[in-house]
Amino acid sequence: MSELHWMTAVEASRAFAAKTLSPVEYLSALLKRIDALDPKLHAFIRLDADAAMAAAKAAEAEIVAGRIRGPLHGVPVGVKDIIDVAGLPTTGHSKILVDNIAKTDAVVIQKLRQAGAIMIGKLSTHEFAIGGPSHDLPFPAARNPWNPDHHPGGSSSGSGSGVAAGLFPMALGTDTGGSVRNPASACGIVGLKPTYGLVSRRGVFPLSYTLDHVGPLTRTVADNALMLDTIAGYDPEDPGSAATQSCYFGRLLGRGVRDLRIGFVRHFHEKDMPAHPEVTAALEDVARVLQAEGAEVHSVTLPSLNEFSGINRVILGSEAWSIHAPWLRTRPGDYGKLARRRLMPGAFINAGDYVSSQRRRLQLIAAVEDVMRDYDVLMCASSMDPASNIHDDVETNRTYPRQARTPFNTTGHPAIAMMSGLASTGLPTSVQFVGRNFDEATVFRVAAAYERATNWASRKPPIG
Amino acid sequence: MIHSATKSGVTMDQQYLAALARSAGLEKALAEFPDDVAAAAAQALDTAGAVQFPTDPAVEPWPPMQAGIGL
Repeated sequence: MSELHWMTAVEASRAFAAKTLSPVEYLSALLKRIDALDPKLHAFIRLDADAAMAAAKAAEAEIVAGRIRGPLHGVPVGVKDIIDVAGLPTTGHSKILVDNIAKTDAVVIQKLRQAGAIMIGKLSTHEFAIGGPSHDLPFPAARNPWNPDHHPGGSSSGSGSGVAAGLFPMALGTDTGGSVRNPASACGIVGLKPTYGLVSRRGVFPLSYTLDHVGPLTRTVADNALMLDTIAGYDPEDPGSAATQSCYFGRLLGRGVRDLRIGFVRHFHEKDMPAHPEVTAALEDVARVLQAEGAEVHSVTLPSLNEFSGINRVILGSEAWSIHAPWLRTRPGDYGKLARRRLMPGAFINAGDYVSSQRRRLQLIAAVEDVMRDYDVLMCASSMDPASNIHDDVETNRTYPRQARTPFNTTGHPAIAMMSGLASTGLPTSVQFVGRNFDEATVFRVAAAYERATNWASRKPPIG
Repeated sequence: MIHSATKSGVTMDQQYLAALARSAGLEKALAEFPDDVAAAAAQALDTAGAVQFPTDPAVEPWPPMQAGIGL
């Protein structure tokens, strides 16, 4: 491969093991690209080049000595800036926490370090993973590498932008209402929201305790499975952690989709929230591709998007208010306008509505479980529109909530978003696959089959 | 001036809105960012007003209370 920055983690790892590439050489190529492109993309809040290079040298010495820790040894990872990395500020992209130095690594960072991965820096986010894209914060908003005049999705905006631009092969994001899958959709990469409780949230600044998930963003499905293998696992100190055994999530990647039953939730994008015609056409293409690969695809019906998003908003608003109330009372001017507006609604939601929403949530979970009994995987839209111009507030406000991701934060099911095509504007369109709880392996299986059958993963943004 | 109209057309009395904001401890936000407080209140009204809540008392909330779990 002539361009090192487009290597996947799997390719880099193989090259390290074969000693045809060193972690220092790889990181140096990425740092050069970051130097050239990040002034346009603003994926980073803080690049930690010196520490990353020291870690790359240490990884190189271990690999040369034959002590390979695993497939992420020597692989650089970007970290959304609501996740603690010891010694670095966790700012949440906010003036509120601009001097908040993390004392210890989040559990996901500990796991990545144990696997030999290299933390390359802290990445842009919407303020506290909710207020963005914004232009009144201490750091600039990240941009979309397919067109830097457009937003890259969010809230894991720097994670999506940087992975898509080849600044690093993988990144951590978080997903409370779709914040891993939105940047994956906007930037044409792969983003997974794992099953609730599969990945520890300890050391991650919370937005909504019962909706928050940590997940990987990568350019390929295989890399995504690899990262999940590393970060998944029971954490007795995370009250939401599930007592499951971590396993090899990529074990079905090569199996194809023959005889799998896929339920296509067409009403999300046809009736509940009519999608942009190019998004709709791309989704039908996805269904045709999977059928051609041997899957059975049938239309299925879930509760409406409005029901899911209403419940999600009451729960998220209430839980986020309980976290931010002390600062909103004393330092409202230290939030950006969007975060202030999006974090205060919980002050006006009563306790009864919150509890009633959690009760309705149980019914919604049951409704999805009922459908999933007959299907291996569901497919549906992710974003209803390609990413809008970041300075067009009217269009951004119109399109940002037009999505089908929040249902699966509400229910906890695993959901992956990936590229389904390119709109006539040159911006990516996307599809979402949803699995049974803790069956990420089958979600990856379908996503990998689609990836192999199309050439979207090989398309790169026209930047640099 | 606080504007409290919502998309669904439901309005919150402005004095009531201010009283709610004060009772939530948002005096400072109310003084410095009255439009943001009003927008947040309108969003809360719109959201909660649009949700269909269960009527069967037997429907429990998620996640359920589980003694000892996660402690």
